[in-house]
Amino acid sequence: MPIIKLPYEYLETLTGTDRETIIDRVPMIGADIERIEEDHIDVEFFPDRPDLFSTEGVARAMQGFLGLKSGINEYPITPSGISFRVDPGLAEIRPFLGSAVIRNVSLNEEAIESLMGLQEALHWAVGRGRGKVAIGVHDLDTVTPPFYYQAAPRDRAFVPLDFAEEMTMEEILEHHPKGVNFAHLVRDYERFPLITDAEDNVLSFPPIINGERTKVTTETKNILLDCTGTDMKAVMTAVNNICTALADAGATIESVEVDGTPMPSLSPSIRMVSVDECRRLLGIPLTAEEMVAHLRTMRFGAVADGEEKVRVTVPCYRSDIMHDWDIFEDVAISYGFENFDAALPESFTTGKPHPVMVMMDGVREILAGLGFLEMMPFTLTNVRVLYTAMQREINPGLLRLQRPISEEQTVMRTDILPMLVETLQINHHRELPQRLFAIGDCVEGEDTFQKVATVSIHTEADFSEIYACADALMREMHIAYEIEESADPAFIPGRRADIIVDGKKTGVFGELNPDVIRAFELDAPVCAMEIDLRCVQGRPCL
Amino acid sequence: MAELTYNEKRLMVVLNTIKEATPDIIAGELNTTAAAVVQFAHLCADKGIATLDRTVTVSYSLSTEGEQYATLGLPERQVYASFQNEISMKDMQAHPLARIAIGWMKKKGWVIIEKGLVKKTGDAPEGADEVALRDPDANREGVLELVKRGLAEEAETTTYLIAITETGKALVKAGLDLREEVGTLTREQILSGDWKDLNLRRYSVDKLPKRIIPGKIHPYQRLINEMRNVLLEMGFIEMYGDVVQSSFWNFDALFQPQDHPAREMQDTFYLDSTTPLPENWEAVRDIHEHGGTTSSVGWGGIWDPAKAKTNVLRTHTTGLSIQYLKDHPYEPVKAFCIGRVYRREAIDPTHTPEFEQLEGIVMDKDVSFRHLMGFLKEFYGRMGFENVRFRPAYFPYTEPSVEPEVFVDGLGWVELGGAGIFREEVTDPWGVKYPVLAWGLGVSRVAMLKMGLRDLRQLYRSDVDWIRDTPMMQGGKD
Repeated sequence: MPIIKLPYEYLETLTGTDRETIIDRVPMIGADIERIEEDHIDVEFFPDRPDLFSTEGVARAMQGFLGLKSGINEYPITPSGISFRVDPGLAEIRPFLGSAVIRNVSLNEEAIESLMGLQEALHWAVGRGRGKVAIGVHDLDTVTPPFYYQAAPRDRAFVPLDFAEEMTMEEILEHHPKGVNFAHLVRDYERFPLITDAEDNVLSFPPIINGERTKVTTETKNILLDCTGTDMKAVMTAVNNICTALADAGATIESVEVDGTPMPSLSPSIRMVSVDECRRLLGIPLTAEEMVAHLRTMRFGAVADGEEKVRVTVPCYRSDIMHDWDIFEDVAISYGFENFDAALPESFTTGKPHPVMVMMDGVREILAGLGFLEMMPFTLTNVRVLYTAMQREINPGLLRLQRPISEEQTVMRTDILPMLVETLQINHHRELPQRLFAIGDCVEGEDTFQKVATVSIHTEADFSEIYACADALMREMHIAYEIEESADPAFIPGRRADIIVDGKKTGVFGELNPDVIRAFELDAPVCAMEIDLRCVQGRPCL
Repeated sequence: MAELTYNEKRLMVVLNTIKEATPDIIAGELNTTAAAVVQFAHLCADKGIATLDRTVTVSYSLSTEGEQYATLGLPERQVYASFQNEISMKDMQAHPLARIAIGWMKKKGWVIIEKGLVKKTGDAPEGADEVALRDPDANREGVLELVKRGLAEEAETTTYLIAITETGKALVKAGLDLREEVGTLTREQILSGDWKDLNLRRYSVDKLPKRIIPGKIHPYQRLINEMRNVLLEMGFIEMYGDVVQSSFWNFDALFQPQDHPAREMQDTFYLDSTTPLPENWEAVRDIHEHGGTTSSVGWGGIWDPAKAKTNVLRTHTTGLSIQYLKDHPYEPVKAFCIGRVYRREAIDPTHTPEFEQLEGIVMDKDVSFRHLMGFLKEFYGRMGFENVRFRPAYFPYTEPSVEPEVFVDGLGWVELGGAGIFREEVTDPWGVKYPVLAWGLGVSRVAMLKMGLRDLRQLYRSDVDWIRDTPMMQGGKD
């Protein structure tokens, strides 16, 4: 989640209150304080609230929350007369462009840092790592309109930001740190996106890097904003958030004509919401007027329309407001979570455990009664443990992960016994005897089912011991079974048996093959069993 | 004085007659082994009624190699005898023992070597080692030399002498009950009442026998069962479901946009297989694209059915909740599950790629956000967290959302799980008419708080001793 740096002085100037009040209250608008430093705090906001990714945006929200200012801010727009043309050749590459002119900015170091922080957070949360949206801000007075967003040849050269020499766009992808980081976004296209001015000066190579020429400094008075991307809605979310943040810091916004369409509009949207629906969702008493007051606190525009409706004006930067309930949540936050009268509903219901869990609890009780300790090994494992070390064939239903995180965990278990023997290996330095069991989910193909396995390691562990345990378990589960000589290579020939239920092999037990014992670096006899619990009658389908 | 055992008494009676003797002799009298007699004597000595003197004697014998030289002489003596006054080095090396002998002859001053010639000094007396070679016990200095050369071996013999003390004599004189001791009562002895006249062996009651470890359910499973019981008591029905889920149920049905970061390959375990979309999948597509029949605007863009068919290892159990609601769309619904979920995270003390998640849902006429808070307070209270507070939160599939925090001594307020009301975009496609309260929490986090664990791996790769030593109950005082 984005972590936003909020410098106290700038925040105090914008908000009009002291830092202690802000630190105290900011968590209640939905934020986690990460660090409190000498001159700033680092705060983590939720990814659905890009309007809180700047000091200006946080100040705007805090003013409402602290009762210093309420209702919606107006963002008047005048035409700049500046135009932008978009090359149709970008349609398959990066088709969408949003733009605006931001005049009369007064940028000190903190304001520039806030602007850069906002860009980075937007790149992450809205731009999905610059793929969906990438943002460029430029010193407007260094270039000449109109501007052209084009698909340019890859060998077009310009001086990239923070460099002194010209580089071609291809060279930038290879050598410039930003080029290396984001090359994957454009590498496969024949031509690259490029923004130029009337005199063919380069402003930007979206989504990679701006030109050095238009770098924004504390001297900058007027800004040209470009947001390019693959999703128009996300592009405009970025434009709206940057424009409103700078407007709240005192700048004026002018529109740019992109292929004849003026943008941005920064105009709010209107939602007519039901007071009763809000009341019922939140479970609090609420009049239309109270709801209006709460919404104005949260910096919406709101007026009551009769007693049961409220006309809400949603600021353009609130891209998270998708549904009426999103507005009701803000009412709840303004109402204060601590002021809710928490209560249980009166409906009568009866609880019921799931039959699979009941079955597993039963098996646990039996095996604990037989003196086994339960283990809960991972369900993710690898072919070596599951099959190779057990000298078994790979189960054709084995489920493999597409992109495992480590060599140890590449497949989903089809059996539990190998994990249990591995647990013995982990505990090889602990006192013997060790008698362990594990029960839980296994997967074959796409089907989840349950198995149970036990192991017993000590100098006298033998076939008779485990046979007696298997018999006790089957008797206590009340399942009739037969025994046949087994061919399972994990066990010693002549000391291994299959458990047959209704003519079908459903389990195996015996003395582990010493080669298996050695494969797990153990050195004492081990007797073991494993039973597929699909044999349990009445086991429901999942 | 502590009671004497039957065997100690028998020893004392013998000692009283013979006063002092070796264990062998006494063993013959008592019809037992010498080792057992030493053990009895130790116990009697501890009580001051006998003494046990231990003497260690060292004796020497020749090794196999030493035995050979005993008849033929040491290698240096054999070689010395094999030539006259002098011999060239080369000729001498023809002797099979030359290599061993040359050094010793020089060291003992029998020869000097000049210009490749070995010359006798004329002085080669019999050494202490040669005396010892004839009789290892005859010369201590010599035999130690032989031990060093591996020609003789040292052996320790321990002998004991047991004697009765004055106290012991007085004790025997006072009379001893010499009836045989009985360890285990027989059926006959119990029925007949004879047991009253038996000399029952007495135990040292403070001596703990070998520890027994009972069979046990895993401490973490016991915690999971405790949580299950709390929810069952609160009237919830338990859900259970497949580990393999389609992206449709794991993500799309929960209104997670198809380009959401949580869906990316680095966070989710994707599988090669697919699952066909369920009936009514179009409603979910519509919700994503434009909000369907709700007041939502949706995410916009084009929703791709192929992405939704891709199977994953479930990243949460919320996908089970929405499927449960699809199958039970009428109120009231109260359901929960605790199941293992999978995230593509490397293993470290606080992260594991699989862990248990608890999930609860309540759907009913007239349930609201305040009831969600009520359920959270009740649940956490029953889990032993009396102080609960709420903070705004964000989760993609709930609105409003809330993050409960519980107060833990020594840690302060600790974030524990997340909750909210399912977005209408989540419930509307399945005909659910009323709000669905939902909450989830990482069970392993509760385990860390309640069991004081520092490393999550302990839950899944458990140390047997940890389970042996973790009591099943909290019976004592805190």
